[in-house]
Amino acid sequence: MRGIKFSFLCRSKPEPTGKRVAIVGAGPAGLTAAGYLVCKGHAVDIYDKMPEPGGLMLFVIPEFRIPIERVRLGAKELEEEFEVTYYPRTKVMEGSREDEGDEFYERTVRLSELREKYDAVLISTGIWNVRRIGIPGDDLDGIFSPLELLFWIKGHKMGYVPKEKVPELENKKVGIIGAGLTAVDVAFECNRLGAEVEIFYRRTIREAPAGAYEINLLRRRGVKWFELVTPKRVIGENGRVKAIELLRTRLGEPDESGRRRPIPIPGSEFQVELDYLVFAIGMVSTPPVNGGYLATDRRGRLIVDGRHMTNVEGIFAAGDVVNGPTKVGRAIKDGLYTAVSIDRWLRGEL
Amino acid sequence: MEREYLYLDYLTCIGCETCETVCGFIHDGNPYIRIYVTENKQYLPINCKHCDDAPCLRVCPTHAIYRDEEGAVRIAENKCIGCLVCLQVCPYGVPFYSLKVRAITKCDMCAERREEGLEPACSLMCPAEAIQYGPLEIVLELVRERRAKNIPEHQKEVTEEELAKSVSSGYIFL
Ligand SMILES: Cc1cc2nc3c(=O)[nH]c(=O)nc-3n(C[C@H](O)[C@H](O)[C@H](O)COP(=O)(O)OP(=O)(O)OC[C@H]3O[C@@H](n4cnc5c(N)ncnc54)[C@H](O)[C@@H]3O)c2cc1C
Ligand code: SF4
Ligand code: SF4
Repeated sequence: MRGIKFSFLCRSKPEPTGKRVAIVGAGPAGLTAAGYLVCKGHAVDIYDKMPEPGGLMLFVIPEFRIPIERVRLGAKELEEEFEVTYYPRTKVMEGSREDEGDEFYERTVRLSELREKYDAVLISTGIWNVRRIGIPGDDLDGIFSPLELLFWIKGHKMGYVPKEKVPELENKKVGIIGAGLTAVDVAFECNRLGAEVEIFYRRTIREAPAGAYEINLLRRRGVKWFELVTPKRVIGENGRVKAIELLRTRLGEPDESGRRRPIPIPGSEFQVELDYLVFAIGMVSTPPVNGGYLATDRRGRLIVDGRHMTNVEGIFAAGDVVNGPTKVGRAIKDGLYTAVSIDRWLRGEL
Repeated sequence: MEREYLYLDYLTCIGCETCETVCGFIHDGNPYIRIYVTENKQYLPINCKHCDDAPCLRVCPTHAIYRDEEGAVRIAENKCIGCLVCLQVCPYGVPFYSLKVRAITKCDMCAERREEGLEPACSLMCPAEAIQYGPLEIVLELVRERRAKNIPEHQKEVTEEELAKSVSSGYIFL
């Protein structure tokens, strides 16, 4: 197997320009931007809080979709052929905030420090926080964040997470709320580890973001699919999740997303017993700032101008941290076009 | 020169849009590989299969469509009269008329890149390793190796003959 060739635009390293770029976040957006920039002769250093570059592709998305080696070899090629330097287990932050995957970092670096040390900085830190649902009982033991569960499962396979950390799922009842890419991947992994999985979704399979094909694959494997239900509260016993109380919904008029809005039906409550519960209802951008320094919108996404630049001259941003949850190809697209801007800016053309 | 094949394995593709992105990037924003989304949300990238017995090549009245040394089905733009008959016979609806080039255009297996010794960009960048490029035996081996990592539902064994046929027509799916 060969690695993803992030430097697909050139055969070898060109004459150095003498410019240095720091990239924060080694997911598809950051690595693809690195590939473009090294092909233009810039020196690139990449900072990431995880133990290895790759982002969600490496640590979260199941191996049957994106092979571990495909990502690893790709990142390695940048290092070996294009002299990219990785600074793993390094969290970059101006201010502080707890994010998912923080258990892996060992050092912190300030963003403003990088801005001073490098000619340009690219932020591609993705969406490493999980949206909270805000219903009674949502903080009980036995409720997992989808990212943390997927890190543990894949991280254990890769040797970063001890076995004790991975919950024993065999014959356990796992409930998953949501029907996006994250929900189906959690369902695949839990089903593979022998759990009895049930997915609860407030609309129908036709509106499910993950699509009917993926969901039907899961159903054929024994995963139960409950549609038109929405969680009301989580019921606990001795501080641990015991069941979920759901309300039935019906679909009303289309909302801003064009999908019909689910409306809870009063008095339709019922309960389903569970051992574990996962809320996979959305993820939130995690820029390496909290509150000040860089401008963010009301959903926490970094704001950039037509040059893909943030409000601080010389700091650019790309990928899910700017656009919210998308897909690998969209992150790569944003990474590429942002790298074009960075290169032009470094040459004084922007 | 050895015949090269560009094979997109739909059993391995995760529909991430990377191929369309990088193809568009190197072609001024006009990708030659495009994702088609089915009713049940399967994302299927469609591009030219460089068919072994290419219908487009057979019907073109001016012989503007030819096969290059490495096996890619190409368009000689100066010979194209824009009659669109190739589009009508292509099983995938691949060729399209470009007002800018004033001729039919489509995937040329990254002809310019190949001249510089670079492989097709979609294949190099696909994170799932769903697009294989190379001589037939190598493509066969890589497809088999990659499919072995898929979920059982997507592992489907193929004979050498089946895959050889599929490589240049894409017809084997589930
Ligand atoms: C469960 C799940 C399944 C998915 N499945 C698919 C799929 O099948 N197909 C598809 O196309 N897309 C899928 N996606 C979406 C896809 O993974 C993302 O859109 C894509 O990875 C975004 O790329 P990115 O480079 O912007 O960010 P990421 O891949 O998230 O990378 C961000 C990087 O930044 C690092 N980082 C974050 N904060 C800091 C910090 N403060 N300091 C230093 N480093 C930091 C992280 O460690 C990470 O390496 C899935 C997403 C999830 C969550
Ligand atoms: S890049 Fe690969 S996985 Fe992504 S859509 Fe294209 S063929 Fe499918
Ligand atoms: S896929 Fe269509 S355009 Fe490509 S060779 Fe076959 S018939 Fe011609």
